[in-house]
Amino acid sequence: MTPPEALLSARALTVKYPYGDVQNVVINELDLDLYPGQIVGLLGESGSGKSSLALALMGLARHPGIVSGEVNFRGKNLLKMDDEELRQIRGNSIGLITQKPRQALDPLVNVGKQISRVYRAHSQASKADAQVRAVELLRSVGINDAERRVNAFPHELSGGMAQRALISMALSVEPDLLIADEPTSGLDVTIQAQFLDRMWERARDANIAVLIVTQDLGIVANYCDRIVIMEDGKIIEDRLTADFFADPHTAYGKKLILASGAGTKSSNAEVAIATTPEILRVTDLRKTFEVEGGKRLQAVSKASFQIHKGRSLGLVGESGSGKTTVGRLILRLADPDSGEVWFKGERIDSISPKEFRKYRSKIQAVFQDPFDSLNPRWPIERVIREPLDLHTEMSKAEKAARVKELVSLVGLTDDILQLRPGSLSAGQQQRVSLARALATEPEFLILDEPTSALPPAARADMIRLLKSLQDRLDLCFIFISHDLSTVRELCHDIAVMYLSEIVEMGTSEQVFSAPSHPYTRALLDSVLFHDPSSRRVDRKIKAELEGEIPSPVDLPAGCYLAARCPMAEQRCRDDHQALIEIGPSRSVRCWKSVEASK
Amino acid sequence: MRRYVLRRLAVGVLQALGITIAVFFVIRALPADPVSRIVGMNPTEDSIRQARHALGLDMSLFQQLLTFLGFHGDGVFTGSLGTSWVSGSTVLSEIAITLPTTIQLIVTSFIVALVVAIPIGMATARRPGGKLDKGVFGYGLFAGAQPEFWWGLIFIFVFYFKMGIAPAPLGLLDPELTAPKSVTNFVLIDSLIAGDFTAFKSALGHLVLPVLTLSFLLVGPLLKMTQQSMSRVLSSEFILYQQASGLEKKSIGRSTLRSALAPIITLTGILFGFMLSGAVLVESVFSLNGLGQYAVAAVLNLDFPAVQGVILVISVISLFVYLGLDLLLAKIDPRILVK
Repeated sequence: MTPPEALLSARALTVKYPYGDVQNVVINELDLDLYPGQIVGLLGESGSGKSSLALALMGLARHPGIVSGEVNFRGKNLLKMDDEELRQIRGNSIGLITQKPRQALDPLVNVGKQISRVYRAHSQASKADAQVRAVELLRSVGINDAERRVNAFPHELSGGMAQRALISMALSVEPDLLIADEPTSGLDVTIQAQFLDRMWERARDANIAVLIVTQDLGIVANYCDRIVIMEDGKIIEDRLTADFFADPHTAYGKKLILASGAGTKSSNAEVAIATTPEILRVTDLRKTFEVEGGKRLQAVSKASFQIHKGRSLGLVGESGSGKTTVGRLILRLADPDSGEVWFKGERIDSISPKEFRKYRSKIQAVFQDPFDSLNPRWPIERVIREPLDLHTEMSKAEKAARVKELVSLVGLTDDILQLRPGSLSAGQQQRVSLARALATEPEFLILDEPTSALPPAARADMIRLLKSLQDRLDLCFIFISHDLSTVRELCHDIAVMYLSEIVEMGTSEQVFSAPSHPYTRALLDSVLFHDPSSRRVDRKIKAELEGEIPSPVDLPAGCYLAARCPMAEQRCRDDHQALIEIGPSRSVRCWKSVEASK
Repeated sequence: MRRYVLRRLAVGVLQALGITIAVFFVIRALPADPVSRIVGMNPTEDSIRQARHALGLDMSLFQQLLTFLGFHGDGVFTGSLGTSWVSGSTVLSEIAITLPTTIQLIVTSFIVALVVAIPIGMATARRPGGKLDKGVFGYGLFAGAQPEFWWGLIFIFVFYFKMGIAPAPLGLLDPELTAPKSVTNFVLIDSLIAGDFTAFKSALGHLVLPVLTLSFLLVGPLLKMTQQSMSRVLSSEFILYQQASGLEKKSIGRSTLRSALAPIITLTGILFGFMLSGAVLVESVFSLNGLGQYAVAAVLNLDFPAVQGVILVISVISLFVYLGLDLLLAKIDPRILVK
C-alpha cells in the first residue's frame, strides 16, 4: 500500500514540562505521518509519552507543558497558526476522544449544552438548532431517551454514557482526523466492541485518519492498519500491522507478541465432565444491597453450581454481573440473603464467624489489586508467613522453610523476602498474594480477577504460573474474570453471568465451541483475538448487542437481556427466564436456546 | 429549595439563640464585677445594692436569662437587646449606628479585594513562575508578615502625613461637615438620599485608606485561593478537552472561572464573618466608630447587654451570609443538592 499524501505530518515534535529550571522532555524530536483512511495504533508502556503525543498532534499539552517543532496539517504548521485558525481546526478537522470520559466533561454544565457548545463553535447554528442537534447526536450514538439525557449533568451519567457523549461531540463536525486516547479502557467488552466497530466503519466510509492510543494488542490486531510503538518519547517501531505481528523488531514489540501468544487457544479442550468428589456446592444463592432511596440492588440471584476436586470454574461476566459478589459470599465477606454454601459436605453459610474461622485456612483468596491486598509495612517474608502463624502449629524453622518453598513455588527468588511490597512490580506482588493464599495448603481458592490489574507481559506470566500450579498441586478454584481468553485457558467449567444471574453453564469446551445463550455469543464475539489474520471487522457479527447494560436496581420483568438482544421477541420481554438443563452439566437461561438445542 | 432555606433559617435561629444563651452564662462566669465599675470608688453598701438592683443582677441567673430573652417585658423575643449599662441608650440603637460603619468598610474592602485578587490569581495561575507570579509571592511574604494596624499606620504616614493626598484618619466625615440626615445610618447611602454630594465625597475619601488597609490584607488569602483553584481547574481534563474541541477562548475562560469559583466563595464567607468583629484594629487606627470598636469597649466595660447584643447580631449576619453563599454555590454546582 503506497499511502497518498500525509494528512498530518509531525516533524521534530517536542513536548517539555518546565519544573523550575529543569525541563522534563516527554516527547523528544519525534516524526510521524498520518494518512487519510488509515487507522494507526499507538502502543507503548505507561510513561512512554503516548498520551502526550496524542495531544501534541493538536498542538496541545497538559498545563503547563510546552509544544515545539512542527505539526503540519494539510501542509500548514499548527504550531505557527494564530489562535483563531487553530481553534477552527481543533474539534472541527481534528476530533479527540479521551481516556477518562467523565473527567473530560465540564461537571457544572449539562451534556446537551456541552455538545451544542462544540457544535456552535464550528458552525453558524443558533442556540435552539444546536440543542436539537445535540439530541440527534446523542441518539445517533445509541443513547436511549436522548431528550431527557441532554439535561443530565456528567455526574449523572455512567462511564459508558459519558464516553458516548464524547464520541458524539468528536464526531458532530465530521473530522478528517480522529485521535482516540484509550477510548475503551473504562468500557465493558461488549460495549467496547460496539464502539470500535462503529469507529472502524466511520473511518472506512468517510476516509478519515484515526490514531488510537492503546495498550491492548487485541484492538491493534483487529482494527489497526499500522502500528507505532513509543518508548521514552520516541518512536521505536512503525510498521504495518501484519508485518509487525509476523516479526516484531523491537524488544518491547517482541515482549508484547510473546505475552499475547499465550492467551488465544484453549488447552483444556480434552477435559470432559467431572468425576472427582465434590468440594464446593452453592445452591440458590441470593444477595441484594440497599441503595439510596430505599430501593434494592440485585447483586446475585439464584446462583447454583458445584465444583469438584481438581477442577476449576470460570465465573465470567461484565461489570455489575455479580461475579465478585458470589466470591465474597462464599468467603463470608458478605452474608447471603438466602441460599446455601456447602464445603465438603458441610454447610458453611449459616455457621457463626467463629466457627467459620477453621475453614479460612481451607478456603483462600487472591484479589484483583495486588498492592491493596498486601500490608505495605511488612516485609514479604512476614506477609507470606502470616497465615502460617494464624492457622498452623509449625516451629520457626518449619515456617521459614515453608515460606522459602512457597516463594519458589510461585517463581520468585529468596532475595525478595526482606523487601516490602512497594518495591515489587505488580506481577511480583500478585505472586506474593498467591504464595500467601497457598501457604496453608487450601483445598479451595477464589481468584478474583487476579490478572486484570497487571500489564500484558506480567499477565501472561501469571496465567502460565497458574496453569503449572494447577497441574502440580491439583488445585481446585473459582476464577472470576471478564477476560474470556484467560478463563478459557485456565478453567474446566464456565458459568457466564449477566446482571446477577447465571445465564449459561457448561464445560469450557462446550461453552466456547458452541455458545448457546445470545449473551455468551456476544461476549465471545467481542473478544479481540491477537491475530490480524482473523479480525472481528472481517467476520460477520450476528450476535451484537445494542445499548447499555440496564441498572441492577430497576430490572426488567422479562429476560434481563431482552432490551439488548438481537433475537428478542415479545415472549422474552414478558416472561422471566429459568436456567434449564440442555445436556449433561450444561444449562442455559433462554427459551430460544433451549428450543434450538432440542 | 424553599424548604431548604426555611430549614436552614430555623436551624440558624436555634444556633443564634444557643450562642446567645451560652454567651449569657459565660460572661457572668467571669471573675469581674460590673457593679464595681458603675458605683465608682469607695461605694456604700447601699449604693452597691441599688446598682445591683438597677442592673437586675440581684435576680437569680435563670430569672436574668428570662428577662434578657423577653419573658418579663421587652427582650430578645420582642426585638429588644436591652439597655447599655454604660451609656443608658438601647443596645440596638447603638449597634444600628456602629454596624453600618463596619459593613461599609468591609463590604467595600471585599469588593476591592476580589476585584484585585481574582484577575491577578487567574493570570498567575496561567503563567506560574512568571514575573507577576514572583511579584505575588513577594507580596505574600511581605504583607502576610505584618499586622494590619501597622499597614494602616504606614498608609497614614505616607498618604496623609507625607503626601497629603488622603484625609485625616478621623472618622468618616470631615469635621466641618454636618452629617446627612440618618435614614439607614450608612453614611454613603444617607448622603446620596439627602443629595449631599460633598458629604458623599468626603465619606468616600475617608474610606480610601481603611479600605486600602483591609483589602491589602484580604487580597493575600483570596489571591492564593484563586491561584490554587485556577491552576487545579486549568490542569483538569475538561479544560484540556474544551481546548481540543476548539471552543472559543472566552467560553473556556468562563468555564474555568466558574469551576474555580466555589472555594473562593467559601473563603469569602469565612473571612466576612471573621471581619465583622476582626476589623477592630483598622477601625481603631482610623477612628471609625464601628462594631469592632463597640464590641471591645463593651467587653472592657463589662457592659453585659452590649456584649450579648453584639454577639447575637454578628451570628445572625453570619447566618445570612453563609446561607446566601451556600445557595450561590448550589446555583453554580449542580452536584450540590439543595433538598
